[in-house]
Amino acid sequence: MKQPIHLNAAIITFIIVILALIGFDVYARSLEGRYVNALAPLDLTQTINGIALQRAALYQSDLLPVYGSSEITMIDTQFDAEKFFATYPTGFTVFQVANLGAASLTMAQDLAALGPDLRGKKIVISFSPATFTMSKLPPEYYAGNFSSLHAYEMIFSPYLNSALKMDTAKRMLDFPSTLQNDSFLDFAMIQLTSTSRANRILYDLSWPLGGLQILTMRLQDHAEVISYLWSHLVNADVEKIPQTIDWSNVFSSALVEQKQHTLNNSLGVEDDRWWYYQHVVTNPIPAGSEDKSFINRVEGHPEWIDFELLLRVLQELGAQPLILSRPMNVHLWEALGVSEQAQDIYYVKLNDIVNQYPMPLVDYQQYGTDIYFSIDQGAHTSRYGWIYVDQTLDEFFHGNLH
Amino acid sequence: MDGFMWIKHLTNFFTAICTNPTGRVVLLTLYYLAIIVGLISMYGRGNFTTPKFVYQGF
Repeated sequence: MKQPIHLNAAIITFIIVILALIGFDVYARSLEGRYVNALAPLDLTQTINGIALQRAALYQSDLLPVYGSSEITMIDTQFDAEKFFATYPTGFTVFQVANLGAASLTMAQDLAALGPDLRGKKIVISFSPATFTMSKLPPEYYAGNFSSLHAYEMIFSPYLNSALKMDTAKRMLDFPSTLQNDSFLDFAMIQLTSTSRANRILYDLSWPLGGLQILTMRLQDHAEVISYLWSHLVNADVEKIPQTIDWSNVFSSALVEQKQHTLNNSLGVEDDRWWYYQHVVTNPIPAGSEDKSFINRVEGHPEWIDFELLLRVLQELGAQPLILSRPMNVHLWEALGVSEQAQDIYYVKLNDIVNQYPMPLVDYQQYGTDIYFSIDQGAHTSRYGWIYVDQTLDEFFHGNLH
Repeated sequence: MDGFMWIKHLTNFFTAICTNPTGRVVLLTLYYLAIIVGLISMYGRGNFTTPKFVYQGF
């Protein structure tokens, strides 16, 4: 009888490849676990667009993952959490996953990609009121933060219920430019958002290919991290210097520094941004004249839909998040024609939504009249504002948040 | 040993392997693995870059 030599070789090759991939995965995970603390302050692209490092961070007892946007990355200061906690003064530092223009829909996909690894883990969801009170999410912002890996993990996640995946897919389809090079993902999302039985079957049939694509991208993600570690000299040993933080002293220093950057106006706007707002002094806007358009914009803002999707993802995956907003600069907004009463709409709506979920919310509304908390209308955190945020992060990490 | 003898030895070695069923499986496996490694090195790299944009606030 003729021996099936080709078949035998193919089977052996298949087994060797599977074993090699498993070995690669184990090796990559161990390497990522060993180096994630050292990579945390580098803000690598792979940290934001991949999941390997994010997953590794979740399993480090001295890292607090913080997901956010421009309120985190806008200004470079010694007081931002990444630098403030760089030496683990109270036993931890932050693992920042933040990028300009990243909004709730981006974060929802990112966190969905972490799946069951999120269960029971403390994380922070940071955002500014700007995403809910100003323009709609520009497509180029969404595209600039879009990760195929995260999108696939969201659409083919076995850990999220179908209704949530369907609602998310509907929003993702509002940004077609991100799908134009991936007709398979586009196809799967269209099937997912349709309610007919035929569409459901087509979506189910696309699962194996979707799973294979996810597996491939996860390995590529590992490969990118390993490639970085091999090509850069990274010391896995991170310096940790325990110390007691004198908060009142730090607040004073940060306030002095912040005031030095807001010398050309009385509204707390950073000097280099004042040119954009100085018309409110030369041509004052009547008080409350913008209330109606502001309220309409906030009430119907699509970011609320995405924000709810994000909270549903967090709840279904069993995370223990802190929802961290920022205060609107009351006086600046008033100068722009929006009364404090109208501004409250944001906080009311935010609290109404978050209160439906068992998650703590810090919105700092009480600091709205402190002009030095943020640097502009978009509530980007100032040097001084960062100390409030740092203190909150410290309390949350140590379980002292009240 | 000169170059001619080397080639002769190698030819004999591979001929012996190819006439042996186990040897052929081993060679074929190496061949398949080489193809897979080649494909991975050519097309395996992921693309995690995103399009650039100018951030102008919300």
